[in-house]
Amino acid sequence: MNEKILYSYTGVFNSPNAIINAAEKVSEKGYKKYDVHTPYPLHGMNKAMKLPPSKLGYVALVIGLSGALSALLLMFWMSAVDYPIVIGGKPLFSFPAYVPVIFEVTVLSASIATVLTMLFIFFKLPNNAHPLHGTEYMKNVAADKYGISIQAEDEKFDEVEVKKLLEECGAINITAIYYDEEEINHKHKILEPKFIGFLLFTALLTSGVSYFTLNKVLYMSPFNWMMEQNKLNPQSTSTIFADGFGMRNPVEGTIPRGYLPYPYKGQPEAAGVNLINPLPVTKQILDIGQKKFDIYCSPCHGFNGEGDSRLRGQFPNPPSLHSEKVRTWSDGRIFHVITDGQNIMPSYSSQLNTDEKWAVVHYIRTLQRALNAKESDLQ
Amino acid sequence: MSVVDYSQELSVVEGKPPLRSLDDLIAKPLEVKPDRKFYIALSVTLSMLGLFVIGLALTFWYGIGMWGNNNPVGWAFDIVNFVFWVGIGHAGTLISAILFLFRQKWRTGIARFAEGMTIFAVMTALLFPLIHVGRPWLDGWLLPYPNQHGVWTNFTSPLLWDVFAVSTYFAVSLIFWYVGLIPDFGSLRERATGKFKKIIYSTFSLGWRFSNRHWHHYEMVYLILAGFATPLVLSVHTIVSFDFAVSIIPGWHTTIFPPYFVAGAVFSGFAMVQNVLIAVRKIFNYEHIITVDTLEKMNKIMLVTGSMVGYAYAMEFFIAWYSGVQAETFTFFNRALGPYAWAYWIMVTCNVISPQLFWVKKIRRSVPVMFVIAIFVNVGMWFERFVIVVTSLSRDFLPSSWAYYTPTYVDFMILIGSFGFFFTWILLFTKALPVVSMAEVKAVVDGSQPSHEDH
Amino acid sequence: MSTTQNFEYQKKQIPKKIQTIGLALFLIGLITVGIGYITDTTRVAFNNIIIFSFLTSIGLGSLFLVAIEYLGGAVWSTPFRRVPEFLSATLLLLPFIVLPLLFSMGNIFHWLHPEVMNADKILKSKAPYLDITFFIIRVAAFIVIWILFYLLITRNSKKQDIVNDQSLTKKNIKLSAVFIPFFALTISFTAIDWLMSLEPHWFSTIYGVYYFSGSVLAALAASTIIIVLLNENGYLVKGLKPDHYYSLGALLFAFTNFWAYIAFSQYLLIWYANLPEETFWFLQRWDGNWIIISIGLIFIRFVIPYFGLLSQPSKMNPKRLLIMSSVILFAHWYDLYWLAMPNYSKDGFILGWQELGFILFAVGLIMLIFNFMAKKNNLVPIGDPKLKRGIDFRL
Repeated sequence: MNEKILYSYTGVFNSPNAIINAAEKVSEKGYKKYDVHTPYPLHGMNKAMKLPPSKLGYVALVIGLSGALSALLLMFWMSAVDYPIVIGGKPLFSFPAYVPVIFEVTVLSASIATVLTMLFIFFKLPNNAHPLHGTEYMKNVAADKYGISIQAEDEKFDEVEVKKLLEECGAINITAIYYDEEEINHKHKILEPKFIGFLLFTALLTSGVSYFTLNKVLYMSPFNWMMEQNKLNPQSTSTIFADGFGMRNPVEGTIPRGYLPYPYKGQPEAAGVNLINPLPVTKQILDIGQKKFDIYCSPCHGFNGEGDSRLRGQFPNPPSLHSEKVRTWSDGRIFHVITDGQNIMPSYSSQLNTDEKWAVVHYIRTLQRALNAKESDLQ
Repeated sequence: MSVVDYSQELSVVEGKPPLRSLDDLIAKPLEVKPDRKFYIALSVTLSMLGLFVIGLALTFWYGIGMWGNNNPVGWAFDIVNFVFWVGIGHAGTLISAILFLFRQKWRTGIARFAEGMTIFAVMTALLFPLIHVGRPWLDGWLLPYPNQHGVWTNFTSPLLWDVFAVSTYFAVSLIFWYVGLIPDFGSLRERATGKFKKIIYSTFSLGWRFSNRHWHHYEMVYLILAGFATPLVLSVHTIVSFDFAVSIIPGWHTTIFPPYFVAGAVFSGFAMVQNVLIAVRKIFNYEHIITVDTLEKMNKIMLVTGSMVGYAYAMEFFIAWYSGVQAETFTFFNRALGPYAWAYWIMVTCNVISPQLFWVKKIRRSVPVMFVIAIFVNVGMWFERFVIVVTSLSRDFLPSSWAYYTPTYVDFMILIGSFGFFFTWILLFTKALPVVSMAEVKAVVDGSQPSHEDH
Repeated sequence: MSTTQNFEYQKKQIPKKIQTIGLALFLIGLITVGIGYITDTTRVAFNNIIIFSFLTSIGLGSLFLVAIEYLGGAVWSTPFRRVPEFLSATLLLLPFIVLPLLFSMGNIFHWLHPEVMNADKILKSKAPYLDITFFIIRVAAFIVIWILFYLLITRNSKKQDIVNDQSLTKKNIKLSAVFIPFFALTISFTAIDWLMSLEPHWFSTIYGVYYFSGSVLAALAASTIIIVLLNENGYLVKGLKPDHYYSLGALLFAFTNFWAYIAFSQYLLIWYANLPEETFWFLQRWDGNWIIISIGLIFIRFVIPYFGLLSQPSKMNPKRLLIMSSVILFAHWYDLYWLAMPNYSKDGFILGWQELGFILFAVGLIMLIFNFMAKKNNLVPIGDPKLKRGIDFRL
């Protein structure tokens, strides 16, 4: 029995007045490590124990203000910087509309922070292994008695004195409280396997749940009536048609909107004579011509039309567009080549419409002029 | 009743019960097996909850077309229920926070229960926006979280403010409730005999030791939380009122909405708390803890808030006429005389006229009468939201698209079901946790505080 | 019935200088106002409205505080309930402050001119309410109701000093209960009549509540200044603790927040809905250098008192209470100026001797009223059954 280590001496009182007196006496005697246990807070006890005012208000203030500030900054960044969209004619940064959310975030962060600080930092809870737990003393103060406990750790602690003091105050039922075996030997080790396992488990659980929520749950679509409809999608097979294709060819003879038949198919000379470039030479048209030329013609003909293909010999290189022959061709003749193709060159009718072809022709003329300038161009 | 002696403080708890007997009484429902009555009540609420589930299943399976909502009336029962339930929650915070700040000791007997009701009411309310978005599995998009689409929520939308307000409200109420429960868990832990119960209570009490060095900070935190919860409770219903008031629909856009909604919320919340508490004090024999005096004070608050609501009705009506805006004026006359006049007059009778009976002291102190009046108030407050939402929408600016709204059976299933959801929680609560705060009630029994003669 | 009252109260006469200073301020103010009425009638009439609303706030708000104490059964405020009682005597003088307005109303209210009313379809529809006869009936009826309740409630309270009868408390509780509904309606319509109708096109349902919140705050601030000064100089009963100050400070703090809440609600809803028939009122107060006054209002009426009274110790500190109450009291005048004046000078705010004169007049008047009442009556309701409990009040 004597092996046990003493934690404190406790005395129990019956009335609130008695405990206040006792607390005053104990604090006057200069004890520091003592505590009063009451089933509910007693008015005047803080004064009797000479406790300084609680500092928790500052925690609330600081966390609350930082919550407010971060809410404001986040909303500013989200709606005015990262994803600026005008909604309802309101400015991108509309402060009055942010006030409600700022307020809510302030309250939420401050409340949570204050309570957590109190419980975990100020009180060092949870702690179910305190020597006072599981004692008769605790049972009493939890219900209807008022108790005081003077700890052995106190510098002035002396078993006889303390006992005498408690008796003087009129305590009933003075008892000594000892540490439990387990409580003494138990040390909180960070590298305890159980604790690390717990941390790992928490980490896995949190990341798993977040992953699942953000990547799966939010993209779930249990009822997709609108997306899954009784119709044939392109590329899907069909049992209705004999060939099994869901996609059908248009009826023979169907022509696209704005289509004009090309009358000079296989008649390059006639085209050269009869077709006249209807477009004027303007900056705008030349720009279109250049754009289309660079996209469709330049891979084989080269950016300057010199026949310097970028295809590195995968196709035979075309002849230069600056040859005497091409330069003397009429616009219509070039147009015919684009429309009908020549030698290995296919028709570009499905890539360029009529106007674009004429614009390309103008651009080819410009290229030719650039390499073989006339006398008059220099003036 | 004898004449009140104003020089003496009224006792909050009648008689001077020994503190241990209070513990015994409050902890009793947790320590005995539930009786048959409890199971009967539970089966009733569970059947109502079943209706809720069926109603929701129909809604999700076939779509929102199962509801009565039509083209001009795009918001109806769902939002009415939401506002109604959020409102119910407000009484709890008012009792636990505002009355705490005002040092009203009579709140101690009813605070825990009212706070519990707050939490359950907010939970019920939260269901409705989640349902209302139509694709409840996409509710996560309501929160601003960084996603690969680079899309953020719209912070200028009052519906988003709602998300923040209601979830903050729920979280803070829960924290407030739990902080209040910690000492009681401690008491229960010391009382517990079974091993399992002991583990549970020890866990939740966090090892509370009733130390005054803790009480000291604890009281401070309680004060801070009350200080936060008070503007919070105002803000929540204010933001709910913004859902309507920031729009330009006549009858919705009026500047008195914020305080008027808050008053209405407290009004309906008190009616609900009072109704349930009357049952609780009877069943658990808490007549001396939840005294008739306490109930009378609640009735007085109902009278005050009911009159505030009446003031708001009158002021809205007056300004609608005074504004000279045709649509405004029409909307209010339409409410009183149009196709929804029946709803309007139910609202006025229940909300404005019936609480006026509380001017009479006898009525204020008669338990059966106040029970009936409080039910009227609940009905009236539900209809208030109905009137606001439906009448304004059914006839707004464009007469060619006016339409009458009629709810369907699914609407009613969800409405009844929400009550089932709420009361199921309440029933479970009465068996799982002390419905009266043991520590707080003990603190206000006569003679439980030191007399200050020697100071 | 009544228990033995064991507290010390010796009536001390308040110093003579209160009367002297009060009279001096009052006279300077009165002369300034008189000159102003001759030289600059319209502007001074506007100031007269501001000061009328200000004094109504103090008088009516104080009576409201007294009524609320009876109704709520509050004890902490009983030891100094006389202060709001004295201040509510301001109500008796309101007829004299309204009187000059009745002669200069045409300069202030557009709606008094039939040709303006008839030319505007919207104004025409308001004609039944904005009617001079009806207006005067309303103003007179309201003032009569206030004075009536003032006399009834304070008479019982004073009688209690002598007869020590608890039934008087009960009577006053009943009177207060009847007073509150009247109070709610009259204060709202006073605000609509005198302030909102300055801009007859504009409307806001929260306007009455806005004026109410400011009024209670002003009455509370005025009472707090006097209470702190009296108590610090030992004119009240002994034994008032920081707990009493804390309660006063907390109430000031709460109403400051309430005002901000109401003001913000009104602003946000109008800003958000963006309807031209409403926003023009705020735009007027945003134009020119009025923006300075508007932004200043936020600071002087909310930010400064909020942070000044936020912490627990600051609510118990008499010096801090005095400063903050003075700020709040001034802020109420400032607020009323912000409400009324933009209708007079649309281009920008103006401050001059016309404004200052009325402020001196009001401050002097309140000092004189208080001095007069304090001489005649006890500064503490010594017969009140709640007094002992009030002195012993602890948080």
